[in-house]
Amino acid sequence: MNTVDTPSAQAQAAAERFAMRVTARLSSGTADLPYDISERLRASRMQALAKRKKAPAPVRLATPVVVQGGASAALGRSGKEPGGWWSALVSAIPLTALVVGLVVINIAQDESSANDLAEVDAALLTDDLPPAAYSDPGFVQFLKTSASPN
Amino acid sequence: MATEQELSDFLKSVEKRAFKRSLYHVRNEESALDIVQDSMLKLAEHYGDKPAAELPMLYQRILSNCTLDWFRRQKTRNALFSSMSDFEGPGEDGMDFDLLEAYSGPDDGERAESAEDLTRRAQIFHGIEAEIAELPPRQREAFLMRYWEEMDVAETAAAMGCSEGSVKTHCFRAIQTLSKALKSKGIEP
Repeated sequence: MNTVDTPSAQAQAAAERFAMRVTARLSSGTADLPYDISERLRASRMQALAKRKKAPAPVRLATPVVVQGGASAALGRSGKEPGGWWSALVSAIPLTALVVGLVVINIAQDESSANDLAEVDAALLTDDLPPAAYSDPGFVQFLKTSASPN
Repeated sequence: MATEQELSDFLKSVEKRAFKRSLYHVRNEESALDIVQDSMLKLAEHYGDKPAAELPMLYQRILSNCTLDWFRRQKTRNALFSSMSDFEGPGEDGMDFDLLEAYSGPDDGERAESAEDLTRRAQIFHGIEAEIAELPPRQREAFLMRYWEEMDVAETAAAMGCSEGSVKTHCFRAIQTLSKALKSKGIEP
């Protein structure tokens, strides 16, 4: 149960004045704290300031723009930035290089296999033995019998 | 956002009152200094980027919480080492020492004020301090926040986590108690 009477306006004002006088006395007495305590408080303040939290740097947000359909669908980009086309072009360079590389390798392999066949053909044609000899059953038999003693 | 200078000025403006308020609660200078240091660090670490206008409220809240934490730690420590509490509480000597310092300090410079006036003033100050320290904690907190920190009723209620009506009641009771106690001692603030 509340035992405090509701103070009248006058009593309230008198109470406030009394409180102000009391706190004024406290303030004047507190102003001259001993040197060691003042120094400890100062050191605490410095320590706190050294660990002060700073506001994070403002984050630059990408401005939303209307996505142009198929702008660079092959790369999965939607052209959100002003330099979207340029970055899409730059991103396409590695892919182009890969395709070009595959084509070059393919051509080189074709060429080398053709060269190998040509070398075999050239060897057969320039040999002392005519190529028709290899289709002669007697010559084949001769090669087998001459090879078997070894 | 508060600049470093604003934060420094704010801490400078509240540190002495914060120390005294903690001292009235814990009655030990070292502990009061630790509490003030903790509260300053917490304010700077967690709220150093807040606007300067928000700092007083935040700090009062942090100071109250740090004081409560100290009491909780003390409770745990006392439960563990009950005999250690015998070593605490050399506060009476400290108060005498304060009186001597206040008495001898300004004596050199201020010729207009007699030694008797200075002693009388110091006596009033210590009398008031002693009575404030005797107030129930919630009344003392409400009284000091409302009139010493010059916070309004709503701010005090927010900092104390109670209703505005409770703040008014705490303050009025504190004033009544102080008034009676000081009158009985013959102290007129």
